[in-house]
Formats: sequence, C-alpha cells, structure tokens
Amino acid sequence: MINPAHIINQLFEMQSKIKEGGVAQNFERNFNRLFSLFEEDGFIVQDPTGEAYAETRTDCEASISGRIGSKMKITRTIKPIIYQKKDGVVQLLQKAVVIVENN
Amino acid sequence: MMKPVNFGIDLGTTNSLIAKYDGNKVHIFKNPVGQKETLASVVAYRPDRILVGDKAREYLTKDPVNVFGNFKRKMGTDEKYYVVNIDDNVTPVQLSALVVKELKNFIYTGETPEACVITIPASFDTMQSNATLKAGQQAGFKDIFLLQEPIAASLAFFNESGDDIKKDGYWLVYDFGGGTFDAALVYSTDQELKVVDHEGNNFLGGTDFDFAIIEKIIVPEIVRQTGIENFEQELRVKYGKYEKLYYELLYYAEEAKKELSYSHSVVIEFSAEVNGKRYEFSISLTREKTDEIFLPIINETVNLLKKVMENNNLNAKDINQIVLVGGSTFVPQVREQLALQTGIPLNYSSDPTTSIAAGAAYYAANKYYESSTVEEIPGSEEVTDEILSKVEFTPPDLEIETSYNKSSRDKEEVLLLFCEGAYENKFFRIIRSDGGFDTGLISLKAKKTEFLPLVTSVTNLFNLSVYDSDHKEIKNLSRQISIAQGKYTVGGQPLPHDISIEVDDVENKTTKLEVIFERNSLLPQKRTLYREISKTIKKGSKDSVIINILEGDKSARPSSNLTIGCIKITGEDLKTDLVKGSDIEIQLHITDSRVLNTSVFLVMTQQEFTNVFSVSEKHISLDRLRDQYNQLENELVETIKQFQYNANDVWEIKANVLLEDLQSAKNKLFKLKDGDKSDEKYIIAQKIMNVSKESDKLGGNERISILIEEYFELKERVLEAISSTDFEKDEMRKKFQKIEQSEDSFIRSKNVSFIDSKLKQLHDLHWDALCNTTSFLISRYVLWKELPKEFYKDYSAARSLIKMADVSLEKEKYVEFRSQVFSLTHLMVSTDQNFNKDFKGTGIG
Repeated sequence: MINPAHIINQLFEMQSKIKEGGVAQNFERNFNRLFSLFEEDGFIVQDPTGEAYAETRTDCEASISGRIGSKMKITRTIKPIIYQKKDGVVQLLQKAVVIVENN
Repeated sequence: MMKPVNFGIDLGTTNSLIAKYDGNKVHIFKNPVGQKETLASVVAYRPDRILVGDKAREYLTKDPVNVFGNFKRKMGTDEKYYVVNIDDNVTPVQLSALVVKELKNFIYTGETPEACVITIPASFDTMQSNATLKAGQQAGFKDIFLLQEPIAASLAFFNESGDDIKKDGYWLVYDFGGGTFDAALVYSTDQELKVVDHEGNNFLGGTDFDFAIIEKIIVPEIVRQTGIENFEQELRVKYGKYEKLYYELLYYAEEAKKELSYSHSVVIEFSAEVNGKRYEFSISLTREKTDEIFLPIINETVNLLKKVMENNNLNAKDINQIVLVGGSTFVPQVREQLALQTGIPLNYSSDPTTSIAAGAAYYAANKYYESSTVEEIPGSEEVTDEILSKVEFTPPDLEIETSYNKSSRDKEEVLLLFCEGAYENKFFRIIRSDGGFDTGLISLKAKKTEFLPLVTSVTNLFNLSVYDSDHKEIKNLSRQISIAQGKYTVGGQPLPHDISIEVDDVENKTTKLEVIFERNSLLPQKRTLYREISKTIKKGSKDSVIINILEGDKSARPSSNLTIGCIKITGEDLKTDLVKGSDIEIQLHITDSRVLNTSVFLVMTQQEFTNVFSVSEKHISLDRLRDQYNQLENELVETIKQFQYNANDVWEIKANVLLEDLQSAKNKLFKLKDGDKSDEKYIIAQKIMNVSKESDKLGGNERISILIEEYFELKERVLEAISSTDFEKDEMRKKFQKIEQSEDSFIRSKNVSFIDSKLKQLHDLHWDALCNTTSFLISRYVLWKELPKEFYKDYSAARSLIKMADVSLEKEKYVEFRSQVFSLTHLMVSTDQNFNKDFKGTGIG
C-alpha cells in the first residue's frame, strides 16, 4: 500500500509551486478537496508557514536561517505537518520540514 | 537479589539509542516525541530551558556558546564548555549524562533501570572509558558495564544471523555514521570476541555525500542558469543572502541521496530567487553521476579499512565478512565499492542504524547486578506501592498546583504552575502526547507560566513531569493535563443535537443520515462535504437534487429528525445535464446564532447555489416527505411481521396502532400539490417524525437487547460463512471488518433503526458469502433449475443458461458455473420488485 504521507507531500509541493506561479486561486477548490479527502481518512495536514517558531515545536524540523532571536517565524515549509487520527487519538505522523527566520 | 541488566545504550557522537533485551529479542525504544529511534547527541541551554536531541541540534551552528554537540570526542579530557545562558561551565561528562537521561525517557514500559551497558569506541582509553562510566552514574545508573562498539555490532550480527554461519576468525566492522567513520578488526573464537585493531576519522560521514551533491551538481547548474560565477562562495556565507536557500538545498540533496538508494535516477526541482530574479531549476541526478562524486569519500573509508588489514598482515581471504554499521552504509555505492575494492563478502543482516544498541542489549542480557528494588510479594502490591511512594518518591516539602482552561477555542492555552516548598533546583517538563510539543527541562519557580499549543478540534493531552536536581523524575508529582480544542466553553454555545444531511442509500432504496456537525460541537461551525450525484438529472426536467439538512439523532432514521434547511435544484435550474457520478460540493456554515448558510457547487455544470436559513423556520420538500413516508410505512410493516413471527403480541398491537396513525395521513400527503401554501405539509411532517420516534421506542430496552443478541449470533455465522467461501474472500472480510469497526458506535446508540440497519448489512453479507461458496451455489442451482416456467421472466433464456451451467458443473469449471448461476437469478421473477418502486431519493450519493 502507498504511504499516504508521500502522496500528501507531493500534493503539498504541487500546491506550493502553483502558489509561487500566482495561479493558486484556480486550484484552491481542488486542493481543499484533496486535503479534505485525506482528513476523512484521519490524516490532518497543516501548513505552519507564517506561524511563530520556538524550540518547543517538536512538530517541525527546522533549519534556522540568519541569526536566532526571540521573534522567530516559519518562512518556508518544504513538508507539511501530518497528524493521524485513529480511534479518537491524534498522533504526529510527520514533522514539517521548515526554514525559520527571525523577524 | 541478582538481576540481568538487559538495557543497552549506544552513546554515539552524532546520535544515541537505547535498547532492551526482553527474553528472546531486542527492542529498540523510540523517542515519545516524534517516534524516532535515534536521539541527536546535542544539548542546548536555551535562555529558560534545557533541550536534548533534534531540537537542540537545530541551534547547534547558530548558538555555539549555548549549544553543544560532538562532546563525545572530548570525553576524558579536562575541557569545559562555558555556557553563556547559565553563566557556568559544563563538562563533556555532564552533557553525556543529559543525553543518557533523555534516553531513559524513551522507556515507555514504566521501568526505571538501575544498570545498563554503554558502548564506547574501540579507540577510547581508560580516562575516556571512566568518563563514560561517570556520565552513566550521573544519569542515575547504579551499575554500568562498558562495551566496545565493534564488539556490540558483531554481537548483534552473530545473534541475528543464526547458527549456520562460521563465527571463528577475523571480522571487519565498517561503521560509517552521519558524521564519523570507524573501522575495526575483530577476532572471534568460541570463547571470546576482541577488537584487535582500529582506525577512524571523526570528520568523515554521510553528510559529506549531501555536501558533494550541492557542490558538484546543484551549484554548477545554478551558476550555468544565472551566470553568477562566485555563487558557491556566496552560498556558504554564514548569515549571507543565500543561507535560507542553502538549507533548502541540503534537504533536497539528502532526499535525493535517499531516493537514489532504490531508484536509478532522481530529479531535484526547486525554485529560487537569485539576484532578485526567480529561477526554476530541474536537475537530473543519476546513479552514475553520484558514483563519480561519492567515490573520493568512499575511497577514504576503504583506505582506512585496508590500513587496518595491512597493519595486521591480513589479506581479504583471512577475513570472514565485513559487518556494516551506520546509516551511511545504506548508500548503494558504499556497498558496491566496498565489495569491489576489498573482495570481502559484506554482511548487512542486522539494521546498521540500531545494531550497536542491539548488541549492547544482547550483552546486557548476560550481565547481572545487585538490584535494590523490593520484590513484590503476590497479593501485597498495594501496600508495597504505598510504602515505596512515601519513602522513596514523595519529597514531603513540595506541592505543585496547576491552573488552565480545560477547553479552548484558541490555538494555544496558558498553563499556570504554582509551587510551594522546596522547588529550587527542580525542573518540570511538558510533552504533548501526540509528540508535537516538548518544553524541554525548565527550572521550577514559585509561579511559572507556559503556553501550550493545541491541535485543532481534538482533545490535547499533555504529560507534566517533575524532576529533581539530578534530573530524576519525581513520579508522584507527574500528572496529565487535558485540553479540548474547539469544544464548547463557557463563552460558546454547544449544539444540542446532531446536524446531518440526508443522502441516498440507493441499494436499499432508502435514505440515511450523514452527520455534519456532532452534538456538543461549539458554534460557529463550518464544513464542506464532497459527494457524488446518485442519479442523472436532465437539463429542463422536473427531476431534482435535494439538499436536506436535519437536526436530531444522527443514528436515527431521517424521518425522526427535524428538517432545518432544504435546497432543491431541479433540471430547470441546470445549464447542462447533471450526470450520475458527477461531483457535488456542499458547504455548510452554522453561525453563533444558529443561522445555517448552505452553498452548493455542482462541479459538472460549474454552478453555485446558495441559501440562508434561519433555524427557527421550517423547510420541507414534499418529495422527500413522501419518500420518508414510504420508508417508514415499509419498516413498520416489516416490524409487525417480525413481532408476529416472534409472538410478541403486545409489541405487535402497539406497532399496528402506529401504522394506522401514520396511514391516516397518507391520502392528504399524496394529494398535496407542490405549491401548497397551507400548513398541511408541516402537520404531516410532524406526524411522520412522531411515529418514527415512537417506532424506535417499541419494545424498549428488551427489543434492543434482542437485536444486539441477534447481531452477535449472526456475526459468528457470517464469519464462518466467509471462511468457507471459494470466491472474493478478501473482499468480504473487508466488508465484515467495516461493520465490526462501527459495532461500538451502533450498539452504544441504543437506536433500534440503527442497529436494525447494521443487522440488515450483516444479513446481506451472509447471503453474499453463501453465494460465493460453490457447495451452496450447487444446492441452490439444483432447486432453481427445476422451477416451473412462471418463475422466470424469459424461460427460454433460462433454459439455455441451465444447459451451460450443467456443462460447467460437469467439467468442474466453477468460475463459469458461478457466473451462469448469477445470470440465472437475474432472469427469475423477483418477489420484491415492487418494493418502494417510486423511490426518488435526494440525488446525493
């Protein structure tokens, strides 16, 4: 069986590329639907871009660009966070791979 | 009392692991935060907390005055690290002790080991070995046994390779990790296993492959496209303008390296802004190309290996095998070159990442220590626990109180900790149970606040642990903190009932409910449903799709729920035909004031329909009401038959009264016109709802118990039938598991129609299983072939099928036979063909 996290990562990458290309709106509904299908199967996908970063965030594997500081922010997400919900219990399936910068 | 040690620790330069021998195999413990087996051997002294592991590693290059790695190389020296954030010095021993303590947290079994085996490099001298012992003691181990890493790897290999392999003689252990390389010559006999010689390089590892991919492949391509000659120099500038890109490239290079271990080629795709202009890069990487750039790195390791052999006057034929250890030995070129250049057979039967820890655990199984734990006397567990907790664990002078909101709509909640008593030099740590949050060790203070991030729409569990000055956990001060995110709070309004949408169950010519917002969900709520159209609707026709939103019990039949919103889209509203199977997206939003906004998007026609309902108004579709009536009437008739069969006279009388009550509305309902402005349809809807609810109450708990009992009996029969099927066994097992998975919810629902619908599914599956069993098919066929003409719709077609089936049966061609018998059943006059023939449904599948 195909690992759902691999498919989610590919979708996420496609979505990121489309965003960079400036035509994201045309595909927004399709991506929402795809991620919603995964959510129905218990896979919750989160894009932490723009969120504050602290060393307590064990849901991300971060590379810190620039100097560290007190107002660090996730500026790029290469892989999203994936949680898996099974029998009502949520587990971290994949840590996000992110780049962090100080504001 | 003497006890086996059983616990083994690989205290590595880059990563560390912990394992346990448990009777017949070795178990590698995983980090509860992130579920990785390895822990980065890095310690970070952040302004208010201590971090150990991967999080600490993120700060290694950025904050070198507070974050420390590779301290294993300094074990046994008098070197100290000055930590700016704590204004104090720490030793390599203290840092190693922190890593070992962190590894102890991986042990989820609740054991607190008093002894362990810790591995050391073959090159460690007495000072370094003693320093390792000291680190183990500081981490709370009473007895520590040291074991050389190559011996540990060999032990793992010997234990996992079986008895058929020759074990006497010389072995080479090739340990190629993320950042270090070690080669060792091991000699084994029946009695002993010893390291004869070793060589190593502390600055050679798998990350060099990633750097080579960037330097030799990616950078030249960037230079080619952008024309910036000194790009490589700029890329490497600390805090430079391409630093962010550098980290991205490192990630892509590592991923490409991993992918090339099982594919022949890989494409690295990324976009980057270089000198203010955005470029798209697509760089192909083949195994051949990496062969070339990896070779110098691999050659360095092979040369060290050969040096060990030369120093000991050994040839390839003198060596049994090379045992591979370390994550970098997964790289195919490493294995190819090693085999090619040495001519010695390679062995990678044990996992290269965990084999040292596993070997340490095997060794630990044969080492014993004097345990100080009081053995439990059977029957006195409670007393022992009480004494132990009072004597050993409770610091009598420390009390901790916590304060937090148990439910929240925010993305984080604040936790307040109040400490009374001796909290100085003690620490706390909070880990979210899904592994996505870890505070690290934080010093306790009289009053402390910590922000806890929450995963949305679930109950977040946090484990709060308290540690003494030696970082040993004070067990009885630990507690669990539970915060429900998105659930109702004092400030929010919970939904009193489930809100569902009515969808078609085409197979059974009925409809069912699918929950959208569950009872007690906090308002406002928003959700998008994705479904398919279950029937074709021609443009301009009167056929319709009905989006019927209901409030009530999600497990009940639709007619027992109250309709709170309805959108009807007819063929006249459509731009083109709407084909069965095309997609429909239904977005529902219910506000704080319980106003329901519904938006429907038909993907095929690209049309959007929106509607806003106030839940105080009723919306009823006559078509749906008639369907609901038919469904309920059919069910009641079936229920009465069942009661008659089981001789439940009282229930039968009550059911008949309900049926009469329902039928009293039939004439009016089917005479009503679509545009009727009177209240009649609301009155009938109310009647149907009441009869439906009453029908579920028939027989009370006794009927529910009978149905549940019937369900379990049938379940056994179905399981047995599935196990004897000759066709589609896996398919049916899956269907069975699906029903079984929902068992808990439908039994708990205590709703007759819900349990009944599951029973029906199980009956259908039972019939399916029988029809896929050759012996059953033959027995039915023998009866069916003798049926008179009037039982078939087309008797001559039936006769020719029977002829073919007879031939298949004679030749034992059961696959053909089965399909012929199935075709025959389609020619039979169905007894229930008129059942609900007017079923229109909602049009949503």
